[in-house]
Parts: sequence; structure tokens; C-alpha cells
Amino acid sequence: MAASQPLWELRSVGKSFPGVRALDDVSLALRAGETHALLGENGSGKSTLARILSGVHQPDAGEIVHRGEPVTLPGPQDAQRRGVATFHQEFSLVPELGVAENIYLGRLPVRRGVVDWEAVRRGAVEALARLDVAIDPDRKVGSLSVAEQQFVEIAKAISREMTLLILDEPTAALGPAEIERLHEVIRLLAGHGTGILYISHRLDEVFAIAEVVTVLKDGRLVDTRLRRETSVRDAVRMMIGSDLDEHFERSENAREHPRLEVRDVRTANRVDGVTFDVAEGEVLGLGGIAGAGRTEIARALFGVDRIVAGEVRVDGRRCSLRAPGDAIAAGIALVPENRKADGLFFNFDGPPNITIAGLDAVQIGPLLSLTRERRRARGLIRELGIDRRAEDRSVRFLSGGNQQKVMVARWLFAPTRVLILDEPTQGIDVAAKHEVYRVVDELTAKGIAIVLISSDFPELLAISDRIAVVRRGRIVHVAGHGELTEHELVELAAGGETREAA
Amino acid sequence: MRDRAAEALRSQVVGPLLIMLAVAAGVAISTDRFLLSQNLKNVGLQVAIVAIVAIGATIVILTAQIDLSSGSLVALTTVLLADLVKNAGLSVALAAVLMILMGAALGFVNGFFSSYGRIPSFIFTLGTLAIFRGLAFLDTGGTPIFSVSPQLDPVFYGELLGLPLPFLYVVVLYTLAWVYLTYTPRGRQIYAVGGNESAARLSGINVNRVRTEAFVIAGALAAVGGVLLTARLDSGSPNYGQGMELMAIASAVIGGASLFGGQGNVFATLFGAFTIVIVQNGLNLHAVPSAWQNITLGAIIALAVGVDMWRGDIARLIGRLWSRRRARAEAVVPETPGEDRVHSRP
Repeated sequence: MAASQPLWELRSVGKSFPGVRALDDVSLALRAGETHALLGENGSGKSTLARILSGVHQPDAGEIVHRGEPVTLPGPQDAQRRGVATFHQEFSLVPELGVAENIYLGRLPVRRGVVDWEAVRRGAVEALARLDVAIDPDRKVGSLSVAEQQFVEIAKAISREMTLLILDEPTAALGPAEIERLHEVIRLLAGHGTGILYISHRLDEVFAIAEVVTVLKDGRLVDTRLRRETSVRDAVRMMIGSDLDEHFERSENAREHPRLEVRDVRTANRVDGVTFDVAEGEVLGLGGIAGAGRTEIARALFGVDRIVAGEVRVDGRRCSLRAPGDAIAAGIALVPENRKADGLFFNFDGPPNITIAGLDAVQIGPLLSLTRERRRARGLIRELGIDRRAEDRSVRFLSGGNQQKVMVARWLFAPTRVLILDEPTQGIDVAAKHEVYRVVDELTAKGIAIVLISSDFPELLAISDRIAVVRRGRIVHVAGHGELTEHELVELAAGGETREAA
Repeated sequence: MRDRAAEALRSQVVGPLLIMLAVAAGVAISTDRFLLSQNLKNVGLQVAIVAIVAIGATIVILTAQIDLSSGSLVALTTVLLADLVKNAGLSVALAAVLMILMGAALGFVNGFFSSYGRIPSFIFTLGTLAIFRGLAFLDTGGTPIFSVSPQLDPVFYGELLGLPLPFLYVVVLYTLAWVYLTYTPRGRQIYAVGGNESAARLSGINVNRVRTEAFVIAGALAAVGGVLLTARLDSGSPNYGQGMELMAIASAVIGGASLFGGQGNVFATLFGAFTIVIVQNGLNLHAVPSAWQNITLGAIIALAVGVDMWRGDIARLIGRLWSRRRARAEAVVPETPGEDRVHSRP
């Protein structure tokens, strides 16, 4: 690698969170004027690394070196003082304020006790001019398009003295033309000697802009290579690793009868003409990168987002899905991605959590039979192997895997024909994952059709009977079990060079 | 099962019961007039109306909303009931039924706008707090209506099988509310909506409808309180029921209901109501001026809500003091700054 002294360096950095080793012995050198891409699957440690460099997290081991000198960054302000600017997926702009004011927010220049608006405006105009975008500095940020807001965010980053710019998934909300514009800006900044750390899922983009590529897997550094010495295929191989030992014995439960039929469904929220079937006892996996529209498909099928065109049938009967209640009545159920925020009731112990969507099954006349409720819920707790403490303690105290199984138990209790699982194994450990796979197997044996959304591609490939690849709100490819390698799936999802299917 | 329901009831009700007994003991020690049977009967009669309004407050709070308009609704009910009976010549029974229906309707207005209308209930019912009392003033031009009807007296002071009627009203309404909240699907949904709104929606619950229904019940119960107050005083006045909403909310909160929703028990609310009324009674017996009574009541309410809000912090604080004490006892671990970032150390 180049001989010049690195601008920023991480030396053998490690970082743990409760129960997770997020980074382990990672070393990385970022040079002035160089664009360095950071690749890895979800949970590989990319964002943790970025947060260490921007002073949000403190490393447990190793050191951070700035221009050859070891430094500590106890807080984001310390990183900013040393010229680290971060550009996040989420905006940190205030929509009610003007563009110029947003750019200087939190560090407005003061003269004689009042804000020096002249200087603010001048600085903002200058920063926007460097980006070569025509945005009126007096407009309210709320009135700008998403892409324009993104440029204001960048202007904010570059209006201060900057040695390193970190971009974490900068293009999630951008169209192709805007991505190209962003890349021009990055080249411009690099030309002025700024170091760039570029984090993205989209391999085609990474290979268009980066000079150096580093791949992380499970918190470890796999390799750092010059872009011209590697390829998208190599990068994918490094991201996946060769140790595909997640063996799972799945049974073939899929039958002929179509349970769920989705025809050209569209919503105002990213779903753009989606058609697929799921048979009785079949697992259909939806693969794709974050923001591709998989969760939005689930929301449409569950009556959360309004379907503006197309139709959904369950067992041949057309359903009108205006609210989750309609979906549940039709036999469609959803285990949401964020089980704590959207799924569990921490004010209840296990049984009421399990019965809430099917209370009529434990009614005697107008009243609930608490005896029958407890008995039936206890049966499910045993059947699914849920921690027995769920019987009489708040579900808050259960582990992630047990909480997830409580969610599944809820839909086993209600009469469910189609179950949508959104990232069911996120944030739970390997043993619990296998428990969830086993439960999925039991559900399909009962004839339930499963729609599985997972960013864990090996898992998706292992348990799905068929896989539908989702990109930009559409299904771009469907393949049977074993017809797709993880490699191909990653490429299809990211929209890189698409290989002809073997 | 019966054990389980009883156990849950015990765990939620014992605390407020002990608080009530402690307060009662304090008042009884400070003045021997407290335990006189006439005084205890007064306390009982005084508690009845607040306790009934507090059922509504509890149900609304369980859905993580708040109803600030109940005191004004009580006033509006007393005025209209007095007007209908004395000036329009309606029978007490018919007028009372009309009032309860009106209370339900006005509760629907509160519920509709703060759920479907997405106006925070704290603000919307602050508005109807002013509106309902304004309507009460409008009806009479501000003057109270006295000596409404001799038929009213037995509604409050009557007895059945030797038991005072207000006692029976309280027992019946609290039992119904407890059955509703514990043994009906709607009651379960009320707890679910307050516990996790998003999860409730994704469990197929019509969240807006549940919330609206809670306000309807609260409105009807406030009207019941208004009818009883009219009967008790044989009069209606736009100035009645001032601060009743705060006493009702405080009863629920002292009874352990969380303003964040999803947690609370009606029987505990009853003990909360007793606690407040006993404090008031004690201050009366000591001839404390009403200015200081107001200040005391306000402080109790603020403290009760504070304890609810700080529950987590208090637990953490106790936990931290405990672990620090242990650390000092073991004298191994030196105190380090940044206690709250434990996870960032290796």
C-alpha cells in the first residue's frame, strides 16, 4: 500500500457490547485523498467501526492514531474537533430552519453577543458552491427534496475543517443521477486531500468510487485490497466467508395448493407491482438489501400500508386489507422486525401476549375464561419450548429468542394461514436461531404458508423453499431451493453484475 | 386460576391499601375526632363521588390518555339536572338518565377528537374543561339553582337493607369496572393499547375505537358523579366539581396506575381516592385554612405523578447506591467516573 503516513489509523481495535463481540482486532489505515470502502454483511461491525472513529463508541482494545499520534475520542465533539465529519443515513437537519442556519447549527458564529448572520450566509454559500449545487441558502430545509437535503447535510459536513468524511449508506434515498452527483462531490473532496470512509451495501457503487476496499465479517477484518486488484465476486466471497457451516435439516412440507396469491400489488410506500404465490406449507424467502421494499411488502399484506392497486387472495378468497384486523381475519399474520417496539406487551406476562389476537377462542359468553387462557397458552409455551418463566413473568425478562417464540405462539394461537416473519432471527444467538428454524418447520408441517424476510442470506437460502429477490419495490428474480448460491443472491440483491443463472 | 387472579389483585392493591391505612392512622393519632362514627360516615359519603369519577380516570389512563374535563362535566351535569327537574318539571329518574347519556356523548367528543382527530387528549380535554364549565355558566347565567326537588334526597341519603346507597353505588360500579377490565376482551385491549400502542395495532386492535370507548365510559361516570352531587346538595352550580378531575387522576395514580398506560387496577384506585379524602378530612378536622388544603392536595398530586414518572430512576438509584455500598464493603473496586457507561469498559 502507499507509503505516505496515514491520516487516521485503527490499530488492533476491539469492541464488545453485552453478548456480542462487535469488533475484534481490526486494523485499518485511512489516507489523505483516498476513498476507502468498508464492506460486510449486516452485523459485521461496519457501523461500530464508523462510530468509533466519530467518537460515539470507545474501543475496549487497541488504539486510534491521528497523523502518527495515538489519540482518544471520548465524545463526538472530540472527533469533530479533529476534523472527522459524519454523514448518516438519517438526517440531522431541522426542517423548520433555513439551509444556511442548518449548516451552522450548534456552532453559529457570534459577534458582539449576537449571531453573525452575514458570516453564516457567506459560509453556507461557499460550502454549497464547493458542492456545485444550486440551493438557495435562505430556503427552509423542509421544503427541499430528499436529494437536496442530502447535499445540505454534506455542506454541513464540509463547512468545517475536515480531515475525514465518513459516509454510512449515503445513497439509500438517492436515485442514479443523484448518486453520480454525490460521487463527483466525493472525488472533489478527495482531490482536496480529505480522507473518505464509504460504507455501503451496494457493491456496484463501491467499485465505482473506492480506491481501497476493506471487508469485515463477524467483527473481524477479512482483508484490505486495492480496488484494481479485486473484483465484485472476490468481495462477495470475502463477505460470505467459506465457512458455511450453518447446516439445517429442513423438511419438505410445501404442497400444491396455493395459500397466498399476490397479484401486481402496489402501495404508495415503495411496493411497485409485486406478484407471487406461496403454497400451503411453503416457505417463500424475500431477499434484498435494506430499503429494497421487503418490509413494505409485509406492511401491505398485513393491512398497515394501503394497497392502491392489485389484489391479495388467501385460499382463493379475495381479501380487502384496510387494517391489520382485516388481515388477521383473513388468516394473515405478521411477526414484525422490531419485536420490542411493535410486538410485545411488556405490561403482560406470557399468556396475554399469546392470546391477544385471538381472545374469542377463550371466551365463555361475553367473558374471558382466564383459566382456559392460561391452560391453552401454557400448552403453546411447552410446545414451542419457550422459557417456562414466560408463564407468569413479564415477557420483558425473556431472552430475544424466547421473545420471538412468544410472537410466533401468538399467531399459532390465532387461526393463521399465512405467517410473515420479518427478520425473525435478528439479534438472537445461534442456538436460538436454530430453535426458530425448527419452529418454522413445525408451522409448515401444519400447512401454514410462510413469507420469510431475512437479511441473513445463508439463513434465507437454508430454510426457504423458494427465494424471491426484491429490488426497488419489485421482485426481480425467483429461484427454487438450491438453485441460487449466496454469491448470486448477494449480487442479485445489490444489483451488481448479474450472472446468468446456472 | 382463582389463586392467580387473587394474587395479581393482592400485589397491585396491597401497596395503595397500606398507604391509605398509614394516612388514616396518622390522622387518627393527630386527632381523636377522626374515628368518631359520624366523621367516618362523612368520609365515606365524601369519597363516593370522587371514587366513581376516578373509575373513569383510571380507564382512560390505562389507555395512556388523560381526561382533564371530568370536574367540569360534573358541574355541567349538576346545573342541567337541577334545571331539568326544577324548571322543566322532568322526573328525577328521567333527568338522571338523560344526564348520563349526555355524559357519554360528551365523553365521545373527547375520545373522538383525541384518537381519530389526533389532538393530544391532554390538550383537547383541557379545552373541554373550559368549555363544559362555560356551558354550565351559560345555562344558569352563573347563578346556582337551590332546593331542586325533595325527590333528590333519597338518591344519595337513602339506604337499602341498612346500607347507605352511595356505598352500594361504589361497590356495584367498582365490581362492574373490575369485571370489565379483567374479564372482557375489550378490557384486555384497553391494557394492551396502553402497554404498547403499535403492538396493539399490529395485533388487530382498533386502537382509536378502544380509546374512544374509554372516554365514553369516563364521561358517563363523571355524569353519574354529577347526579349524585346534585342529590347530595339538592342544588346545581357551575362552581361545583372544581378540581374533581385532579382528585380523580390522583386517586388513580396513588393507586399505582401509570400515566404511561397499561398498568393499574380499579380497586387500588378506590384506596387512592380514600387516601386523598382522608387527608382532606384530617386537614378539615385541624381547621387548616382552605388555601393550605389546596396547596397540600396539589403537592400530593405532583408527588404521586412524580413517583410514577421517576419509578425507573428511583429503582436505578437504589440499585446504584446498593452496588456502591457493596463495592465499598469489599474495598476492591475503586469508584470510577462514568458509572452509566459500564458496558463500554472491557
